Formats: sequence, C-alpha cells, structure tokens
Amino acid sequence: MILKKENVQNLLDELSKSALVFVPKEVDGVLKFAPFKSADEMTLDIINTTLPPKDLLFPQTQKMYRYGIDADGKMYVDPSDDSAEQVVFGIRTCDMQSIVCMDDVFLTKGFVDEFYQAKRDKLLTVAIGCNKVAETCFCDSMGLDPQNSPTADIQLLEGDDAYSVVAQTEKGEKALESWKPFLSEGSVEVPKIECALKVDMTGVKDKLDRMFDHPIWEELSAKCLACGTCTYVCPTCHCFDISQENKMKDGVRFRCWDSCMFSEYTQMAGDHNPRPTKKERLRNRFMHKLCFFEDRYGKTLCVGCGRCVEKCPVSVDITCLIDQIGEFDV
Amino acid sequence: MSAIEDKIRIRTKELLESGEVAEFIGWGKGRFENQTSPLFIKDPSRVDELVYNDYCVNTLGKYAYQMKGDGKIALCVRGCDARAINRMLSDKALNREDVYLLGIPCEGMRDRKTNEVLKKCQECRHHNPVVYDELLGEEVEFPLPENRFVEVEAIEQMSTQERADYFDTVFSKCIRCYACRDVCPCCTCNQCFVDQREADWQGKQSNIPENRFFGLTRAFHVGDRCIECGECERVCPMGLPLMSLNRKLIKDMNTLFGEFEAGMGDEGPDVLRTYKLDDVEEFM
Repeated sequence: MILKKENVQNLLDELSKSALVFVPKEVDGVLKFAPFKSADEMTLDIINTTLPPKDLLFPQTQKMYRYGIDADGKMYVDPSDDSAEQVVFGIRTCDMQSIVCMDDVFLTKGFVDEFYQAKRDKLLTVAIGCNKVAETCFCDSMGLDPQNSPTADIQLLEGDDAYSVVAQTEKGEKALESWKPFLSEGSVEVPKIECALKVDMTGVKDKLDRMFDHPIWEELSAKCLACGTCTYVCPTCHCFDISQENKMKDGVRFRCWDSCMFSEYTQMAGDHNPRPTKKERLRNRFMHKLCFFEDRYGKTLCVGCGRCVEKCPVSVDITCLIDQIGEFDV
Repeated sequence: MSAIEDKIRIRTKELLESGEVAEFIGWGKGRFENQTSPLFIKDPSRVDELVYNDYCVNTLGKYAYQMKGDGKIALCVRGCDARAINRMLSDKALNREDVYLLGIPCEGMRDRKTNEVLKKCQECRHHNPVVYDELLGEEVEFPLPENRFVEVEAIEQMSTQERADYFDTVFSKCIRCYACRDVCPCCTCNQCFVDQREADWQGKQSNIPENRFFGLTRAFHVGDRCIECGECERVCPMGLPLMSLNRKLIKDMNTLFGEFEAGMGDEGPDVLRTYKLDDVEEFM
C-alpha cells in the first residue's frame, strides 16, 4: 500500500481526532516532535530533530502524585496519570531504537515503571525511512538500518510523491484500518542509502571492559565542560531524579531528567561523591553507552543519531572515541 | 593565519621543552571539515596537532581556571580569551603567574557550516588581546560594531504583556543543560546556586518559572563581570538569545554609572562593587 503525500495532512487530521499526533516540526526555532496542527508546517523531510522524541514517553518533568492535608486534616495522595493516546509520525530508525532501549530499562528485568508503561502502551509509532543522512549520522555502524525500523508499528518509506506503508506489529495492523481511506495500491522505489560517517564497533565493548583506569578519560575530559547538553539531546539517556515542590499544605512529587555529567548527580548524603570530577563522569557516560548497557541488556545504548556530536559545545565526539578505542592495544 | 599556526607550534614546543610551562591549551582538528576543538598538550612532540584557522570558535580562558594548580599553563588568547583571563584575575580565581599568554590578534571566527562570521565575533569590541606575554602577529584594526544594544532596545520597546510572552517563549525552550554556565569565564563559584540542593534555591523541574529563575539569576550573578565573549549564546543548544539578558544589565549600568567594560584590566573596581557618594539612588 502507499500513502500519497497529498493525503498526509488529511490522514493526520483524521488521526488527531482520537489521539495526540506528534510530528517533527520547528517550534520557536527548535526542531522537535510537537503536536500536529493542520495549519503548521511540518518538517517530515528533516533528517533529525534537535530534541529527540523521548519526552513523549519520558517527559523532562513528570508529575507522579499530589499529596497533602485535606480540609478534614487527613493526609491524601493522588496519583497522577497524564497518559493519553499518542501517535509519533515520522520517527527515524535511531530514535525508534532509543525506544527499544528505554523499554528495556523501564519495562524489563522485573521492574515495570508504571508512568512509562502507561504512556508506552498508548503510543503508536510510525517510522519513516531516511532518504538522506547528515554528516553526523552513524546509525548503520551501530547495527541499524536507516531505512528500516523493525520495532515500529508502521514503517513508511519515502518516494517522490508517496510513502510505502507496511504494518509491522498487531497494533500497526489495527491502526491501518483507520488509514484505509487515505491509502491506495502501488509501490514506491527507494534507493538504498548508507551513513557517510562510519565507526567500527568490533571489540570496543571488550576493550572498554579493561579500560576503566585508562588515561584516555583524563585526556578526553580535559575539554569537557561537564554541561548536560549531550545527555539532554540524547534519545537514549534516561536518568531521572525525584523531587518535590511544597506549597502550604499541598505538594507535588515529580521526576525530572537528570544528567550524569552534573556533579550533584552522584552527590551523597554526608557529602561523599564517588564521581568527584568530570573525568569520572565522562567515563561513566561513555561506559554506560558502549559497555555497561550491553552487560545488562545485550545492546549498545548509542543509536548513532549524532545529536551529541552535533551539539557538544567543545566537540567531544563519541565517534572519535570509538575510533581511538579501536586503535588501543588493551 | 598559517603564519600564526606555525608560531603557535614553535613557541609551544619551546615553552614545553624548556619546562617553562607544564601544559598548553590551543585548538586541534575535529573530525569534520573546518571543525576544531580545544586541545591540551603536555608532550612537545605533539605540537603539530595544534591548528589555528578561521574556525577556532571555542574561547579558551575558562580552561585556565579549571587547570589551576597543575603547574603553569600556556594558552592562546585573542580579545575574548584575554578578557576572560583578566576577568578571572580580578575575581582572584586565577593568579597572573599561573598563566603564560600567547596573544593572537583575531579577525573573527566563522561557523564551519555556513562559513559566516559568528554572531559573537560580529559583536566583538576587542579583536586584539588586552593582556598577553607575547604577541604572535600584527594587531588588527576593526571599527567598533554598531549599537550593541539593538536586541535589548527591541525588547524594551515591547509592551509589558508582549515582553512577558517573549520571555515565556525564550524560557520555554531552555532544557537546563547549564552549558551557558559551564562555559562562562565569570561562573567560577565553588558551588553554583543551582547545585546547592539543601538551600533549594533552584527547583529541579524544567518549566517556564524555574527556567526563567535560572536564566535571570545567572545573568544577575554575572552582572557587571560579563566580558561579552558571547560563549553562553554560542553554546546554547536551544539557541536562546542569552546575550540580550547580559547586555540589558550592561546597558543599564552604563546609563547609571557611566560606560564600563569588564575584563579590560586585571584590577577593579567593577561598577557594582564600587560605592560613590554621588551614585544614583533613585530606587532607594
């Protein structure tokens, strides 16, 4: 089946009747996944949004529950659930893989994060294969295919005037029923592409297992500012902190993104900090991406989207690090 | 340009080999075309990795503070880097004998993708280093940029409601990565107010009021010390117009206390820490 480009607006209007539809677009100068509005311009053809779509499942700030003392002097706790049916339309392979990684963290190994699960169960993922790549894209070096997101509910491939449409999950097949009026028979020719930026991941994890005390961390962290840019533009970074805001007799418990690059992240009661300098913090970040996550979940936590490479103020570059590790004899 | 690059390499080699300095901070190549990145060198045999070209966008001054205590550091200083050094000297964050400064007259740096001169360099008022131990080139002459308060005046012209909406939009985009703080040569507090969790000045939630509180408090903390290097604005991943906040303060200080530019010397007095009997007191 194909979806003609002229029908995309109508399809999204239809989908918006029963769900919040997120599309890549520019909002006040920032490229991100934002609610579709028929009057707004979409940027379905951009390669990567500046901000990843992770906040659809894992908002930067999320209310967990309200609590306080009610009029009768009794304590109350009101769990908060702001999950709603959502569609993400136009997600790329890299970001789709980041959802796979977050699913691992929030839903497996005997732990189920109910806030994440509520949103995840109500999300329909519609991926669009990439027809071009940015200079910072390297997803195919991380074992992905820029034109195929096997875990997306629906996979689109972009031709000149239409997208090919394939449902890949039960949820996707069910969703396609409401797409029918906008689909037609046909096929779409899509030339194969690959990323220009290549890294070789062979042996990287094994070497990192032996590199905890390697001088590279001191050297690489020298220029690092220890800001949180890389972690906040990263689609897979999923650390959070839990805090609260109290006003008189009521309060809100919330969780919000945290960054392992911040000194306060590992600050313990009694003032001990097991990661006292940016050397330890930067090492942890890269170890988590390329080594520790694989230990626990059997895959790397870097999806090759290139956002950190693009946005780091001082050009700390994970692809350069991977190259360097490849050359080390450890 | 390449003449300066050669001189940087030669002098770095000499300074490291003689033991005069323990480490050198300059720029090296990045992965991509026309990309550079701060480079730290201790081993004189590596000086050929140093580069100097139109794309050395990073201001290096702050690194001298970070490396304080590791022995004498040599670094390249243009107008912005040099004023950063002066700034930290006046704040007693750094001692003059901690650093050896290779001055470079700068014609402005370019964005590697658009090849346009960076906004911060278009707005630069001091292309030549204002402090150095030796100068690696002829001083350059640049006319002062036209009115640097254009953005501020545009915001001042807004109605109260327009201005509130404008700042709501600006701060709705902030992701609180703190890159603006971490790159700033004025931000040398041992512990930032943001990280003082027990005092709880700054809530951790990312929303407009908290983001605005961070942005404005940071601007006020920098206050009369901002050297207008523009690094906060350059590094902001969300493209926030942060210099307009700093320049609003500078503009007001200029009006109230006379023209002043931070980081031009290594001594005070800075305007907000100077008391004069004839100071304006209209707000008292």
